[in-house]
Amino acid sequence: MNPANKRLLRWGAALSALLLLGAACGGDDDSDAPATAAPVTDEAPAPEGLTGSIEVSGSSTVEPITALVAEKFNSAHPGVGISVEGPGTGDGFQRFCAGETDISDASRAIKDSEAEACAEAGVEWVELKVAFDGISVLTSPDNDDVSCLDTGDLYALVGAESEGFQSWSDANGLASELAAAGLGGSGAPYPDAPLVITAPGEESGTFDAFVELALEDITEERGQDEPTRVDYQASANDNVIVDNVGSNPTSFGWVGFAFFAENSSVLKAVEVDGGDGCMAPSIESIADGSYPLSRPLFIYVAVNRLVGNPALGPFVDFYMGDGYSSVAEAGYVALPPDELSATKAAWAGVG
Amino acid sequence: MGSAVTQEMLRRALEGRRVNIVNPLVALTLLICLLASLAILVVLLWDVVAKSMPVWQERGWSVITNDLSPRPAETGMIQGIFGSVMLTVIVVVLSFPLGVAAAIYLEEYARDTRITRLLVANIRNLAGVPSIVYGLLGLSVFVKLILEGMLGQVSGRTLIAGGLTLSMLVLSIMVITTQEALRAVPLAIREASFGVGATPWQTIRHHVLPVASPAIFTGSVLTLARAFGESAPLLLAGAVLSTFFAAPEGTPITDLVLGEKYTALPIIIYNWSRQPQQEYIALTAAAIVALLVILLVVNTGTILARDALERRNRM
Repeated sequence: MNPANKRLLRWGAALSALLLLGAACGGDDDSDAPATAAPVTDEAPAPEGLTGSIEVSGSSTVEPITALVAEKFNSAHPGVGISVEGPGTGDGFQRFCAGETDISDASRAIKDSEAEACAEAGVEWVELKVAFDGISVLTSPDNDDVSCLDTGDLYALVGAESEGFQSWSDANGLASELAAAGLGGSGAPYPDAPLVITAPGEESGTFDAFVELALEDITEERGQDEPTRVDYQASANDNVIVDNVGSNPTSFGWVGFAFFAENSSVLKAVEVDGGDGCMAPSIESIADGSYPLSRPLFIYVAVNRLVGNPALGPFVDFYMGDGYSSVAEAGYVALPPDELSATKAAWAGVG
Repeated sequence: MGSAVTQEMLRRALEGRRVNIVNPLVALTLLICLLASLAILVVLLWDVVAKSMPVWQERGWSVITNDLSPRPAETGMIQGIFGSVMLTVIVVVLSFPLGVAAAIYLEEYARDTRITRLLVANIRNLAGVPSIVYGLLGLSVFVKLILEGMLGQVSGRTLIAGGLTLSMLVLSIMVITTQEALRAVPLAIREASFGVGATPWQTIRHHVLPVASPAIFTGSVLTLARAFGESAPLLLAGAVLSTFFAAPEGTPITDLVLGEKYTALPIIIYNWSRQPQQEYIALTAAAIVALLVILLVVNTGTILARDALERRNRM
């Protein structure tokens, strides 16, 4: 055998080795059913040998809930393939209304334009409210001067025009300007103390939600482009925000409700006035919507795909049934019983 | 040794008693540059390894062998490792023969015409195209047009689509490295072969390729390493960016490649790094270490294989 042939053989051998390695890994992949998933008890007898695949996309905020539900469902029905992605609510609807996904996670209701796209592509859907998320506005427990802020105050302190304000009282002028225009600002005058802000950065869903619920209307009214001031310490790590806000007596920041709830001993949640009086964030006020910075989270199910996909119906049943504890597990506020029954009824109405 | 001494004597004879300041200065500067780049590498490695230590201690192998899970304490990266390895296999199978064949044609057969030069210039340009552009191509051509459109798959976001995309990405680089390897073969070898009456193919097969093979081999593996670490095109070509996905139990491997969702190790690194939970900092570091170790093993293997090839050629 000449050297060239041997060489070709060797390359061939290397290639087959790679293929074998791949096959071996594949074997692992198949046999490693998630052995660690929480035990699941089915209240209704599950259809035997359920097969199919379910594709979920949409909000990254809702993703943790749906991913937990999916993992539990998959360990009960290993024959069903599931993927849960979280590129964002808008991206999710784009794929959903193109008929690519079975379920779209959403941290806001579907827009008219998106609903039209769905209608054009023949995608029929049902909207199911699954949970609430609330944003807690924070300061230090030592900050006695601040207890309630309205959206005008929030804009005056962290909105686009607040750039450069080093002290809470620097925002007094802006607040009175807003008050004159009927945009709030009733919390002024603010204390003459350093304004130390630590909050989520632009990449965060909590940032988006805060901007949308607290600032957006006034930002538009004032003709500003930036969603917030940019000269604050942004952190992607909620624990850093909790630490910074808790350790500085005149701090300011915001986090998702779950993080405040876990750290309420070192933080003070500022009450928020959305026009109907000051409200503190709590499971109750977030659940009934009286807390202004709360928003419902949804899943949208493609009804037209129920017939062709035998796994989809049982999955949503499971989501609303045994899997529903995932909402609290993921750190979100579960629906109160009447709202949950309303969601279940909306789902039952589909079948 | 002897030649070094002679060199030194010669240098002294030529330079006389003048003290050369520039030369040691240049040498020192170059050394500092080398140490600086090494230091960056060491700091990076140390940082990643140190951050990942808690994961290895607490989780052991399970962080490698577990499937993805939304619970950080139970998640693992086997799906990503499987995806990355299979992607690499697809890239090897597709782009290696194509790339080497194209390079042989360009170097050994094609006449030096304007069209050839245009082709070569285009291939060089393709190698400089940002990888995200190949991702767009993969999404529109492989996922949408071929798999979903022409073959009627429900979802074309499969391993084969990702593999095809990465193959496109590395094909031009594969052509260029092979071209360089062929160019490095002395013309005298070809002339000698033609001189005894060999055909062009016999010359290539028995004389040019054997000499060029170590360089082709090294170039290919470096190219594959790039494909292994690539994430942007895969994000577009449909890799699952998620903390949980599962194929139906018992899916045969062919279906895992041709019809199921997939992810890859770099995608897992990206996804873990943006998760809010504290545990993911260490998990991300662990995934980076896993990626580096795999690449290191492959590269070391390649160097050893290449050295063996070279030794054989010299005999």
